[in-house]
Amino acid sequence: MNIMNKLESIKNHDLTALENINNYIKIIDKNNSKINAFLDINEEEAIKTAENIDQKIKNGEQTGDLAGLVIAIKSNINVEDFKISAASKTLETYNGSFDATVIQRIKKEDGIIVGMTNMDEFAAGSSTETSYFGQTENPAAPGRIPGGSSGGSAAAIAAKMCDLSLGSDTGGSIRNPASHCGVIGFKPTYGLVSRQGLLDLAMSFDQIGPFANDTSGIALMMDAIAGFDERECTTIEWDVPQFKDINENSQNLLKGIKVGIVEQFMEVSDDHIVNIIEGSIDKMVEMGAELVELSFDHIDLCLPTYYLINYVEFFSATRKYDGRKYGYKIEDVCGEEVLRRIHMGSYISQKEYSGKYYKKALQARSLIRNEMKKLLRDVDVIAGPTVPKLPHKLGKSLDTMDMYAYDVLTVIANLAGIPAASMPSGEVKGIPVGLQIQAKPLEDEKIIHLMKVMESMD
Amino acid sequence: MKCGLEIHVQLETDSKLFCTCHTNYQEASPNTNICFVCLNQPGAKPYPPNQKAMEGAIKIALMLGCKISDDVTYFMRKHYNYPDLSSGYQRTSIPIGFEGDLNGIRIREVHIEEDPGQYKPDMGIVDFNRSGIPLIEIVTEPDINSPEEARIFLRELIRVLEYSGNARGEGTMRADVNISLEGGKRVEIKNINSIKGAYKALKFEMVRQKNLIKRGVTIKQETRAFLESQMITVSMRLKEEAEDYRYIPDPDLPPMMAQEDQIQIIKEKMPEPPHIKTQRFVEQYGIEKEHAKVITSELELADAFEEVAKKVNPAFAALWMRDELKRVIYYNKMTFAQSGITSSQITELLKMIENKEITTKAAQRIIEKMPNNPSTPKQIAEELGLIGVIEDEGIIKAVKQVIDDNPKAVDDYKNGKKESLNYLVGQVMRLTRGKAEPAKTVELLKQYI
Ligand SMILES: [Zn+2]
Repeated sequence: MNIMNKLESIKNHDLTALENINNYIKIIDKNNSKINAFLDINEEEAIKTAENIDQKIKNGEQTGDLAGLVIAIKSNINVEDFKISAASKTLETYNGSFDATVIQRIKKEDGIIVGMTNMDEFAAGSSTETSYFGQTENPAAPGRIPGGSSGGSAAAIAAKMCDLSLGSDTGGSIRNPASHCGVIGFKPTYGLVSRQGLLDLAMSFDQIGPFANDTSGIALMMDAIAGFDERECTTIEWDVPQFKDINENSQNLLKGIKVGIVEQFMEVSDDHIVNIIEGSIDKMVEMGAELVELSFDHIDLCLPTYYLINYVEFFSATRKYDGRKYGYKIEDVCGEEVLRRIHMGSYISQKEYSGKYYKKALQARSLIRNEMKKLLRDVDVIAGPTVPKLPHKLGKSLDTMDMYAYDVLTVIANLAGIPAASMPSGEVKGIPVGLQIQAKPLEDEKIIHLMKVMESMD
Repeated sequence: MKCGLEIHVQLETDSKLFCTCHTNYQEASPNTNICFVCLNQPGAKPYPPNQKAMEGAIKIALMLGCKISDDVTYFMRKHYNYPDLSSGYQRTSIPIGFEGDLNGIRIREVHIEEDPGQYKPDMGIVDFNRSGIPLIEIVTEPDINSPEEARIFLRELIRVLEYSGNARGEGTMRADVNISLEGGKRVEIKNINSIKGAYKALKFEMVRQKNLIKRGVTIKQETRAFLESQMITVSMRLKEEAEDYRYIPDPDLPPMMAQEDQIQIIKEKMPEPPHIKTQRFVEQYGIEKEHAKVITSELELADAFEEVAKKVNPAFAALWMRDELKRVIYYNKMTFAQSGITSSQITELLKMIENKEITTKAAQRIIEKMPNNPSTPKQIAEELGLIGVIEDEGIIKAVKQVIDDNPKAVDDYKNGKKESLNYLVGQVMRLTRGKAEPAKTVELLKQYI
């Protein structure tokens, strides 16, 4: 039963919202201590919400488009009365005092928020190992990292602890754990979803997006959260399509769809990953897609550009954690990676170096953006691997560059502001491999369409 | 000496620059006009910039003769660490206007900023009511040559700001001044909160530096703080310790484009700046510059003058409005606008004098009754029985009687005591119940003594 069907059975009272939440609570209670997907859970409140929804349905009242679905939220998105720790000691005691715009919209659609998920500290990581509250286990590949930084949200979906979850994606933080955990993760076009209430990593890259086990869930969540927010200046005023309809009406065909394959994206990836991805691409061709070979010349620029900008914006964003208002001064209690980024950001943004590093990085970013625009001009989507290598084993320590290397294929969408998703493509020795699909800005629907078709082939 | 100013004044808006909190921070109890945005809580993003503030800044820039940037405008983050700064950075726009001029002092740029909160160490609190209130910052070139010039400039600037209707007054002013003397480096003085403070700080600093130079000490580039209570400046830091604000464009606020038609609308609605109005009054109405300055001190007063001058001799009107009208509103501690006096009331009053329906003296008494009085001057005159000018015979009669009744005063006057004449004039007025023309009375007194 996919999420859309589940929503219908709740609305028809074939399944009650209460049964739905209770099922998940059972699983969470049983498995969370091992998986550590959730950092904060409010079962009581969730049950109360579920009962209200059931009552509404019983009374024949209108219910929202997420009615009765159980939803997990990354710990860097403000939800009133939940712990918004960003998995850092810095905000250990910080409770949300307002709802982020996405949360307001989820609540309006009668979604049930069950808890807050684990993540890399302040989303600065790709493994969820840097959480102050301990690492998260990969439910799809036990003993390995779930990826990150939204590792808890991806693991919660993979471990069937909820219907839907939200993550944030700055350089791949939704798509990377989706790939490693074998679920779908979607990063919308920059500006499609409001960031109001999202804790900053790098503001010009950050974007909230959904995780689900099937495309209908992604579409439902996108319908709820996407769209202009007059209280968030970077959101786009735009007539958002109904993703649900695209999902429903997708013909099982890719006829006339042009899929770009970028040579360099394959080159930087492990061979066994490339094999799996090529299998997915073959399927697209079977379904009528036309392949277009593309070449992207700036792949070596992507990581340095991304990280330089990330450091500077993160440095700026963390100045408020000065120890006066939130318990601890960030530099006094944060982990190694967060500290590295703050120090680097402070260094790079100094007056005397700004021209040398930060301004150059911004120029490189325009270059990459224009190049991607050019590549996307002649195709509908670009398909390739989400992550160039498989997730490492928990406990194995990687040096910084090896850690950053996970991100080389995902940062591009953030640098260019384009939509991108990761969906399961196959497995290598039982470890999931994600297929990344990228499209032009505001053509998020094309990704939903392609995923729907691919999903229907399994 | 050369001196440049950076002046911050709050813009007059109902809500803050990036949120909808009210701006009446002084009336509200500490930390009541706050929300997650102006507290910069984790995850809070600024709302779109307050349009009234943006337009006010453009208007003020235009009134200062600035060019308006036709390129994109955006906000920068200026990072520093202080308890009153809830985000750890202050949002400050790139110049909205540049290359302006106010009475020969060049304006380098005009931009907009957000006010931080208020750290109150004595109470051990930070009050964030002020956090996020829009400020306008006006930066001059170092074209000012003395503390006196600085004072004149600042007064004139406050007048422009008041005219704009978009800024709060001197009470919200904070200024940094920089000063360099021949042969010395530039010294910046912070923490100045009034025009008087700017004057005193410059005066002190000028003397201090002159004395150092005299002793052969070189003036180093440094930042000093003005201590208002003692009217002195003290060193804060030398150039080597200069703060690095690590400016970056604010990623939460996308660049904005000032629209040509929006600027056009502001230009059409914007009042003529006072310094230009003063000049025009001198040229157009042939009145004295000093009178023009006083009359243009308040936009409503200047507008009233122009109305009155359509029907009454402008020089006569200027004299009256500058002396008598100003005296009355000053005495009542109100502005002209608050006095409720209309241009038609003034016109009527002055016409009555011109037509010799009342005496100057009587008019002075009538105008004293005019603030917030719906009666016409004529009605007031009738109520007080002041209608009518006594013809010459009447005055002569009174003059003769006063001379007879006051031999000592007459003697004193003859012996060179000029003040005695005033006394005698007053006596004539008393006898005529103020209906005699003072000038005529003086003339006749002199004639008959
Ligand atoms: Zn506020």
